[in-house]
Amino acid sequence: MRFTSSPSGRFMTVSIRRPLRLAVISCSAAVIASCDKSVGPFEVLPPLEPSSMEPTAGQWRMILLTGPTQIAVPAPAAVASPAYAAELDAIKLSQANLTPSQRNAIAYWSGGGVMRWNQIVRELVARYNLPPAPKDEGGYPVPDAENPFGDPAFPFANPVYAARAYSYVSAAQYDALKSAWYWKFQYNRLSPARNDNNVSALIPLTDLPSYPSEDGVISGVTVEMLKALFPAAVEEITLKAAEQRNAALWSGKATPSDIAAGLALGKSVATVFLARAAGDGMRTAGGSPVLWKALADSATARGEIAWVSKDIPARPPMLPLFGQVRAWNLTPANIVAERPGPPPSTSSQQMKDETAEVRRTVDNLTNAQLAIAQKWNDGAGTYSPPGHWNDVALEYVRDAQFSEVRAARVFALLNMAMHDAAVGCWEAKFHYFNPRPSQMDPGIKTQIGLPNFPSYTSGHSTFSASAASVLGYLFPSGATSFAAMRDEAGISRMYGGIHYRSDIEAGKAHGERIAGYTLAFAQSDGAP
Amino acid sequence: MLAMVSALPAAAQTFELGSMAPKRTLSMGVLYAHDSWDEYWEGTLKRSNGNIGTLTTQSVTMMTAYAVTDRLGVMAALPYVWTHASQGVLHDMNGFQDLAFGARFRLLNSGPGRYGTFGASIAAIAALPTTDYTPDFYPLSIGTAGRRAASHLTLDFRSNSAWFANATASYMWCSNVRLNRNSYYTDGQLYLTNEVVMPNVLNYTFNGGVDLGRLRIPVSLVQQRTLGGGDIRRQDAPFVSNRMDFVKLGGGLMYELPKSLSLSVGAARVLNGRNVGQSTTFTSGLAYALHL
Repeated sequence: MRFTSSPSGRFMTVSIRRPLRLAVISCSAAVIASCDKSVGPFEVLPPLEPSSMEPTAGQWRMILLTGPTQIAVPAPAAVASPAYAAELDAIKLSQANLTPSQRNAIAYWSGGGVMRWNQIVRELVARYNLPPAPKDEGGYPVPDAENPFGDPAFPFANPVYAARAYSYVSAAQYDALKSAWYWKFQYNRLSPARNDNNVSALIPLTDLPSYPSEDGVISGVTVEMLKALFPAAVEEITLKAAEQRNAALWSGKATPSDIAAGLALGKSVATVFLARAAGDGMRTAGGSPVLWKALADSATARGEIAWVSKDIPARPPMLPLFGQVRAWNLTPANIVAERPGPPPSTSSQQMKDETAEVRRTVDNLTNAQLAIAQKWNDGAGTYSPPGHWNDVALEYVRDAQFSEVRAARVFALLNMAMHDAAVGCWEAKFHYFNPRPSQMDPGIKTQIGLPNFPSYTSGHSTFSASAASVLGYLFPSGATSFAAMRDEAGISRMYGGIHYRSDIEAGKAHGERIAGYTLAFAQSDGAP
Repeated sequence: MLAMVSALPAAAQTFELGSMAPKRTLSMGVLYAHDSWDEYWEGTLKRSNGNIGTLTTQSVTMMTAYAVTDRLGVMAALPYVWTHASQGVLHDMNGFQDLAFGARFRLLNSGPGRYGTFGASIAAIAALPTTDYTPDFYPLSIGTAGRRAASHLTLDFRSNSAWFANATASYMWCSNVRLNRNSYYTDGQLYLTNEVVMPNVLNYTFNGGVDLGRLRIPVSLVQQRTLGGGDIRRQDAPFVSNRMDFVKLGGGLMYELPKSLSLSVGAARVLNGRNVGQSTTFTSGLAYALHL
């Protein structure tokens, strides 16, 4: 064949005359499922239409506040006042000129502020759940709250940091909303769209009083909590919160004074929770080299093999004094009293048998077992095991069409129980300082990342048992499903090669006992 | 990590098997590759990792090619892949990876001219996972576990003396992949789904060398550009949809033995990259051609 005619002409001729090539190309294209590869949207939240206004929520039992009136909300201007009329005019003006992005903001926040912020906190945890990288000269830097933008970033939102963070945000939101509900029904000022037919309701309209605005309350309390917990994310947190308040205004749900009163209340409630957080023991939970050595020496003195870090280079254990951080519904004495009995001795036959079981499992793992290990891995870079259970809970909250205050109750009870599970589990882990399977048998290679803290008991099992107990109480129809998830989350750690069976069983029982304290609160909190 | 061993490049190499074969030639071959790195790029930051040590990926690829006519060839290739980290506690992975199959068509061939022979060819290749290996255990996963299709355009020149050169551009479409978990964080966002969007990939390859009859000595420069995907975050594990870019320089020898057998050996080294290991690869292959 001579290179004579125009190349493009020849190309075309060949293309048309060679059906076989076309067949091959179309076959290749058929291999690809679809040209549109986009995924999402995620966790779709339809506009909130609460099945109840919860008029008694102002009387429900508080967590930290002394009562719903601890933070006073002044009486609003009368609906007939010129000031209120001016506010309505401002809303009408905004509504006349809504941009597509403003309409998107309304649609986004109409799904419910508590659930939206729950998603945002999970995203923050996933972003900050990365351990510090080792220093070139050896050792590891410590995340510094005073330099949150550095390397390492602050915080390292590991599972226990995350458990605590979810619980502070949820508990503060819950107390703030109960207080808001008290004042709402005290003043009974309806929404702008209810008070003026010329204000459009761009979201499902309810008879819930608007003063103080729940969106103002949620944005105010959440921003203040998150600024302390995830300081490097301050810019996007504040922008999100402002968007929530604007959406409430644009949608005809609240006036500027509804929102301002809510914002002030939310911020004031946050100061109460932040004061507790500042003194709850978290700051010193990292311990010191002297403490780390004392923990190992204590295990050795009992005749046990002490846990060692399998990270290379060896990494200090994760927050060894987290077991002394204040719990929500257990006293320090409760925490010690509920501590599980000791694990099998590292020199016992049972420990040998359990180690052998782990090795047998990881070396003969089925694809179904690997899928379970990965499903519940929730390791570095993820929203963590407590985040996974918030993910589970959100769908139930959404489908139940809960009001903001009742949604906040679910997340507060769930996350208080998981924080308490984290405290109890860490207290046990660092009391016993028990080695991981890969330390007992270096031939055990893991199918998921190996957590850098002692083995007994399994944190996943403890978190999951607490979560399943609380969610089963709140959503009895899901109880069987929650229990199955709890068991799957537990055994996933053996499939991953990072826990013995006794870690899992003891953790599960421990988590259930710890959840009992939160359930006792829930059963007597006055919520029907 | 990360796309150093893949059925698709192996498939492209398979065409080399049959590149000079006259029609109705069936070529069969086996290629062994040993790829290892002890440093990688975390985004653009080059580093080592004590929890990995040296990451070694070995593969044995069975390949076959058939020259239907002098202009049309078809091929198939299937690698078996083993991964191993020399340090840390992470478990090895191994298994059959993706079956690649495709066709190449010689668009034009100038015939011997004043300087030599110019040619051009196009190829289409598809790859499908043959097992449900996990894409969620990088850097030890044996592949991306997605379906892919690539189109190639190759221009080649063979001098009237012994020199040859060719250049290939390819565009690879990658299907989304599914994980066993319902959320993941990548590229600055939390995704609440098990489905991962895989970026498409551009690849440019330049080959040049000398052909001394039985002995052929090629050198190659490969550039892979991934059209999307996020960087590995600081101290995070690599993720299947990371933006994996590299420039790799390689060279080798192919020697035709009597009785239609040929041997090849090669070595390649990643010069620069992003979200990939700086790997060194050694390959050796044996092929047999049968005239039907």
